[in-house]
Amino acid sequence: MGLKLENVSKTFTGKLAVDNISFEIENPGVYGLLGTNGAGKTTTIRMLLGIIKKDSGEITWNGKKVERKHVNFGYLPEERGVYPKTKIYDQLMYFAKLKGMKKEDADNSIKKWAKELKVEEYLDMPAEKLSKGNQQKIQFMTAIIHDPELVVLDEPFSGLDPVNTEILKNIIIGLVQKGKYVIMSAHQMSVIEEFCSDILILNKGKTVLKGNLKEIKDTYKANRLEINTNKDIKEYIEKLNLEIEIEKNNDYLIKIDDEQKAHKLLNNLVQNNIEVTKFEIKKPTLNDIFIEKVGE
Amino acid sequence: MKDLLTVIEFTIKDMVKRKSFIISTLIILAIIVIGFNVPNIIKSFQGEDVEEKLLMVDNKNVFEGTLENLNNMDLGYKFETTNEDLKFEEIKQKIEKEEIDEAIIINPENEKIKISYIVKNTAMMDGVPEGCVNALTSLYSNLQISKLGLTVEQLQTLTPNFDFSLEQTEEKEVSGNVFAIMLLSLVLFYAIYFCAYQVSSSITTEKTSKIMETLVTSTKPRTIVLGKTIGIGIVGLLQVCLFVVIAIICAKSFLEPGLIDNILDVSKITPYLAIVTIIYFLLGYLAYALLYALTGSTVSKPEDIQSANGPVAILAVIGFYLSYFTMMNPTSDLNVFAAMFPISSPFCMPFRVMMGISSITDVLISIAILVVTILIIAKIAIKIYSSAILNYGTKMSFKDIIKVYKDKNN
Repeated sequence: MGLKLENVSKTFTGKLAVDNISFEIENPGVYGLLGTNGAGKTTTIRMLLGIIKKDSGEITWNGKKVERKHVNFGYLPEERGVYPKTKIYDQLMYFAKLKGMKKEDADNSIKKWAKELKVEEYLDMPAEKLSKGNQQKIQFMTAIIHDPELVVLDEPFSGLDPVNTEILKNIIIGLVQKGKYVIMSAHQMSVIEEFCSDILILNKGKTVLKGNLKEIKDTYKANRLEINTNKDIKEYIEKLNLEIEIEKNNDYLIKIDDEQKAHKLLNNLVQNNIEVTKFEIKKPTLNDIFIEKVGE
Repeated sequence: MKDLLTVIEFTIKDMVKRKSFIISTLIILAIIVIGFNVPNIIKSFQGEDVEEKLLMVDNKNVFEGTLENLNNMDLGYKFETTNEDLKFEEIKQKIEKEEIDEAIIINPENEKIKISYIVKNTAMMDGVPEGCVNALTSLYSNLQISKLGLTVEQLQTLTPNFDFSLEQTEEKEVSGNVFAIMLLSLVLFYAIYFCAYQVSSSITTEKTSKIMETLVTSTKPRTIVLGKTIGIGIVGLLQVCLFVVIAIICAKSFLEPGLIDNILDVSKITPYLAIVTIIYFLLGYLAYALLYALTGSTVSKPEDIQSANGPVAILAVIGFYLSYFTMMNPTSDLNVFAAMFPISSPFCMPFRVMMGISSITDVLISIAILVVTILIIAKIAIKIYSSAILNYGTKMSFKDIIKVYKDKNN
């Protein structure tokens, strides 16, 4: 059940934009779609939602073709947009009605989400008078106002300040808790790591990595050590031929190729009565994995 | 259907709430009200007494005893006569002192009577005013006839009692003032053209504001095109009806009775004609609006709208002029063609109906051709729109549009 893409491809005027990609989202949660600019993320999303037609392959939701009548979906496109001269409330009501909501339900939903996103005071204003961040929150509202089962968010945090990012994060967590399926494309790897259980990395239209994020990370050996001490330990690090990546106030991020060297460093420090306040052997971050897979 | 009604409702509300729409409507209403008041405004500037003082210098008493008759002829002059032998310089002084506006010097010489008409400036005149010439000629004839001592019956036989009529050899009778009809045709053209143009502008605004992607995932592209087209059409029709109603009220309130009847045969405006005109307005609007929906969807920057809409504008102008110029000869084959040809029929057929030269069958055939054309345009426009609306960047070329249409995947 859930969402399934099988061998989906798309070509634009002879250029292969998406090449035979497949993935499945079986359970509610956030699915991360990663890739460099032009990797095919937005094309995949557009095919998924039926905005553009695929050349080949199958896309199904609970075994049925993905169409508006079969799937109640919400979409926040990468291209942000609102009607500049129309009042926020009127445009939200318009989209809610187009998504099949009754006027009263739409009204309640608009007020509820406006309160959660802290945009209540703007409902009677034309969109052009709002800041870009607030316009983005309004567009996010159009994606979730009708309580969709499948929510597709293309770069939801780009352009948002930390306060609004936090508000949006909490709402996405809330959606997952309510059993929604969320597909998210983002450039910020930390965001994907924070939210996504499963990911798909695209490069030039091709799948370069996909699967459960934790399982993917488990296949990688630890490659960094983060250590914090009460004094300078550079000589101990150099003795073991280790490379310091970042150093700040006796806080070190050290590259390691095997965990034994990290433990040996810790032993040396303890034996020399150096106080160690933090010792963490780290696996590669998603950012590292991403650069390894798509960086050329 | 529910989505279509939602799009129509939103389009109507969004349009009528726009400041630009409200202001332009008010400006046009003001122009209509002011336009119908122009004669009154001119009158108020000229004052109540608009009659000019005309001094008739008749020292030989050629027109003796005719002053009352002259003033009763309502020629726009207040006549005064004098027997003094005033010379040109003396009259000039009187005009400069504004004692009089004009003067006529009657000077019999041998067999002829020399009449000089003196005004301050002849720049705006192409001769002695015709009304004045006719009045003096008629008065002089009457004076001479009365000297013959004829009986009343003899006098009556001298007065012409002609009954002029105008007839044509062709079977179809043309009625109505062609000039007025051409003017109304121009109004109908602008109403259709500018309403249709709004569709293009509205679609490009949605593309410019990047709302399109949210919109096409909320409803079908077909619903958006049709909803927007119908919504703007309803607003346009209501706006035109408002202008017409205000124009009729203004005409009845501000113009002198009979003036409108001279220009336009009001008896020809029947419910049938009104229905035919509304049908052609809507169908003509639909045809051009759908073409504009197509061109509007191929651009993503407001500055590209003009060039993208160029071909449709040319088509509309050709259609309009085809009907406009052939209306001078409404029974010509070319005008019959213009009434059937879909790009010109909306501007032509209502006026042929008004002139009473098109049968119901002609109207039905013309409407059928127009409807089929609209369905073909709608099919093409919706297909192009569905694919082109997400094309951001440079304006699509005609080649690109053909490619998009032929692409079965779109």
